[in-house]
Amino acid sequence: MELLQIIPQFLISGLTFGAIYGLVALGFVTIARASQIINFAQGEFVMLGGMVTFFFIKSVHLPYLLSAFLAIGVVIGLGFLLHLLVIYPLRKASLPILLLATLGASLFLSSSSALFFGTLPKALPPFSGKDLLEIGGVSFSAQSLFVLIATFFVLFLLYILSHHTHLGKAMEASSTDPLGADLCGISRHLMTFLAFGVSSGIGALAGIFITPLFYVSYHSGTLIGLKGFISAVIGGWGKYGGAILGGFILGVAESLSIAFIPAGYKDGVAFLILLLILYFRPKGILGSPFIDSRRW
Amino acid sequence: MRKSALSFIFLFIFILSFSLSYSAEKSPYKVGVNFELTGPWAEITKTLRNAMVLEVERINQRGGINGKPLELIFEDNGFEAGRAAANMTKFTKDPEVLLVVGPFEDTLQATTRAIAEREKITNIIVCPSNRVLREMKQRWAFNIAHNDIIVSEKLVDLSLARKYKKILVFHAAHPLAQTLAEYYKRFGEEKGLKVFISPETHKHTDIDMTPQLIKMKPLIEKEKMDAFYACTSGPPGPIVCKNLRALGMKLPILGTHAFGFGFIIALGGEAMEGVEFPGAKPVVFDQLDENDPAKSINIEFDKRWRERYGTPSDQIAGYGHDIIGLIENSIKRVKGKVTRETFRDALENTKGFKGTHGLYSFRPAEHDGLSKKDLVFVRIEGGKFKRIRFPGFE
Amino acid sequence: MVEQIHKDFRKRDILYSLALWLLSLILPDPQLHYRSEYRLRWRDLFYLLAILLLPLLFSDPHFHHLMVLAGIHGILALGLTLFLGYAGQISLGHAAFFGIGTYTTAILTTRHGWPPFLAFWASGIVASIFAYLIGKPLLKLKGYFLALATLGFGEIFLVLIKESASFTGGVIGIFGIPWFSIAGFVFDTYLKQYYLVWIVLIGLVLFTKNLIRSKVGRAYMAVATTEDATSSVGIHVSRIKLEAFMVGAFYAGLAGSLFACVMSTATPETFSLNLSVLIVMMVILGGMGNLYGPIVGALILTWLIDTLAQYQDYSLPLYGVILILLLIFFPDGLGTRLRVRLIYLISYWGRKKRREKVNL
Repeated sequence: MELLQIIPQFLISGLTFGAIYGLVALGFVTIARASQIINFAQGEFVMLGGMVTFFFIKSVHLPYLLSAFLAIGVVIGLGFLLHLLVIYPLRKASLPILLLATLGASLFLSSSSALFFGTLPKALPPFSGKDLLEIGGVSFSAQSLFVLIATFFVLFLLYILSHHTHLGKAMEASSTDPLGADLCGISRHLMTFLAFGVSSGIGALAGIFITPLFYVSYHSGTLIGLKGFISAVIGGWGKYGGAILGGFILGVAESLSIAFIPAGYKDGVAFLILLLILYFRPKGILGSPFIDSRRW
Repeated sequence: MRKSALSFIFLFIFILSFSLSYSAEKSPYKVGVNFELTGPWAEITKTLRNAMVLEVERINQRGGINGKPLELIFEDNGFEAGRAAANMTKFTKDPEVLLVVGPFEDTLQATTRAIAEREKITNIIVCPSNRVLREMKQRWAFNIAHNDIIVSEKLVDLSLARKYKKILVFHAAHPLAQTLAEYYKRFGEEKGLKVFISPETHKHTDIDMTPQLIKMKPLIEKEKMDAFYACTSGPPGPIVCKNLRALGMKLPILGTHAFGFGFIIALGGEAMEGVEFPGAKPVVFDQLDENDPAKSINIEFDKRWRERYGTPSDQIAGYGHDIIGLIENSIKRVKGKVTRETFRDALENTKGFKGTHGLYSFRPAEHDGLSKKDLVFVRIEGGKFKRIRFPGFE
Repeated sequence: MVEQIHKDFRKRDILYSLALWLLSLILPDPQLHYRSEYRLRWRDLFYLLAILLLPLLFSDPHFHHLMVLAGIHGILALGLTLFLGYAGQISLGHAAFFGIGTYTTAILTTRHGWPPFLAFWASGIVASIFAYLIGKPLLKLKGYFLALATLGFGEIFLVLIKESASFTGGVIGIFGIPWFSIAGFVFDTYLKQYYLVWIVLIGLVLFTKNLIRSKVGRAYMAVATTEDATSSVGIHVSRIKLEAFMVGAFYAGLAGSLFACVMSTATPETFSLNLSVLIVMMVILGGMGNLYGPIVGALILTWLIDTLAQYQDYSLPLYGVILILLLIFFPDGLGTRLRVRLIYLISYWGRKKRREKVNL
């Protein structure tokens, strides 16, 4: 009886997190669709999005919107740099090396952001003035609505990119059939380069939308990046829709799990779902298009 | 390009292996500092480092102690037990190092304190260490910070003064918060409070506590809790308060002494209004009694801190100030040659040393310097820390 | 003229091969598994002597302590190299087996009064039992997904350790683990622990050396090269992978037990993802499919991290940069690449001199 009353509240909290995870997962999927690389530094882009916006607002005294756009620009630049300095030199390297290189980049980004922006946790003001809404006894923050909208907006943009532009199709081709893409005159490295830009931009956007809800700190990127990656795998590696679906499943499952077991197990639940999905359906829920290809 | 970069790496490693060698005219008193300068505790340890550097520079400008300068040697342990222990042996190896400060977090302290005990070197620690560690009663370890017992006792006083009867404790899953919660329950129940420790916990890295609080909500409403004790430290504190208010729960919130930082209010915003906690003296130093020696020390230290770093000082910076002050004070009191042994004895005989946090006294049986008198009741009002008093409890 | 060059070449050839031979005395042997017979070589004796005499030459406790840690890391990396280097499967959860070993020793010695020597073997066995339970379902995965699944296992392990407070001490951990002792001889100084750890490491190296030269070891390498062809010649691929995983976990369990006895504590934070990444880094830095490589990698990285500590808050960014640079310039291992470079350089000098002669 008691449980039934609080479950809607759990669902709302879970959906907020689901939207966040989905948004972060879209960044992973964008790179995967262009080059089948997993960028473990994606979570750091999310962190940097919030950090750089805060820096522009508080230290340079720019308006909110302008600083947000500038932050996205800066983080896209960092994404390009990451590709040029780490991924491109390792284009022929084997899998564990790429994995470690992106982990090293993540380490570098988080620790040097502690040097540049300081180690204090930072909070951005919410987008709308009145932050707390209440519908039918269930209270939630207006910012979580913005996150939800942003997630589906980015999903829509990515859909346009991959289904209705030549660029998107070229990106996809360079990942699904590298040789064919080469023969068609598509530069695979350029496509990966662009995909890193797009994905870091999505990461920064996610960071800007998330920060008003919680806070941003130099070490908050790693965990959120990992959760985003898990959602992408759960939903079906390489599918935009799958990333969002996986995000919602993960968010709601984590939130609901607290209703039944102690909260300390929350992080374990995410990884347990991951292990179950990997064991019973490695293709993910929607079925990954890449899972049969040579690299996996 | 590859070749040049390759030679760069070798050059780099070459430079690394020859660390800076200081030219010491008069051999200084060396103090090893073993902190988590990277990792999740970087903020606190960096503040401590800044304060210690500030104080050591001031002492050295005045001509040092007994004509010899004081020198700090910093090593980062990255919040890893193995590295913390390796740093500890690095310090004990150098016969000129008088004492070691740190590590900060108590999960690292077990091994390093054992090494200090074996190698006979004084180890000053700043974090109120957990129950298991304190019960070891080590000879060479000295604690500067308020320990969990006095914080819990002070909080029980606060609850009694506010006439709270039933309190729900929501603690973080790290050793300090856990022992704080346990002591609060023990002392509170001796005084007739009803303390419920929630089975729900949160982690230092959690960014949202809403699900845990939703689960506690029916319990709070059913039992008609008088207060909610957010037993945590760092960013989770304001997050808990924010989420609690967002869920529409209006009950008063109690905090730990780790709530006394400016960033806590900045993160929590309006939700922090009315939060009360037992705070250290530097948090509200301008509102201390006129005859309190801590007041003038804090005002003077805060002025120097602002000149140097441009921000207001805080309680952690106060610990840094007091560590260096205690070291200077103890070295001065040593009769004859200053060795690790004589320094330890001098430190143990400290009686009523005046620091930013209050009066430090050590005894052979008691290596925690501060007492319950060195805490005050603090309330957050209008985005500021405000000292509150209760007749009969202050 | 031709005769002259020929004669000259042979003289030089002897000279260069002499230099190469001298180098080969001390440099590790990357093509160990190609040789059909195994005998004790000079370089092995050289290593053995170096390991035994080094702590006596540099008798300072910090060096001993660092070498103890490096030795423990070396055992971990040696275990992982079977799985990652030889069988070609990636694991980001190796720290969990290390943790299982540490906690097994901690619980058995402090609560049940087992002697550390028995707890040492029990740790390895418990770790490999866990590896069996985990590996049986998960090792069907490959590449990134295997990495992710093992990472997930590592995180779940951490959560379980932190939550089961009555069994593992929760976030506070277990204190007061006794020193390692065999038949009344207590390893209570770093010098004694140094010999303990490195003798265990030497024993494991000898065991691994024999293992990879056996039928099983060749099967590992076959699996790493191509799984389909391997199964077509009648090798049970999934069982081979599971075996490699279990042996690696066994080593990690032993290392964990030694770690517990050296540090005398077991706390959950020690076994995070960072440690797993560090171990993988050691294996890659040492060179895949190379026995001495991981140990060299462990030595270098342990030393590097300790040296970086004095740079305070710059230590972590520097570590990240050095990690990436090492990966870019030595993707197939420090030893392998250096050795190839040295041979290349020597032969290059030779050719250059010869070319100049011919031009004259």
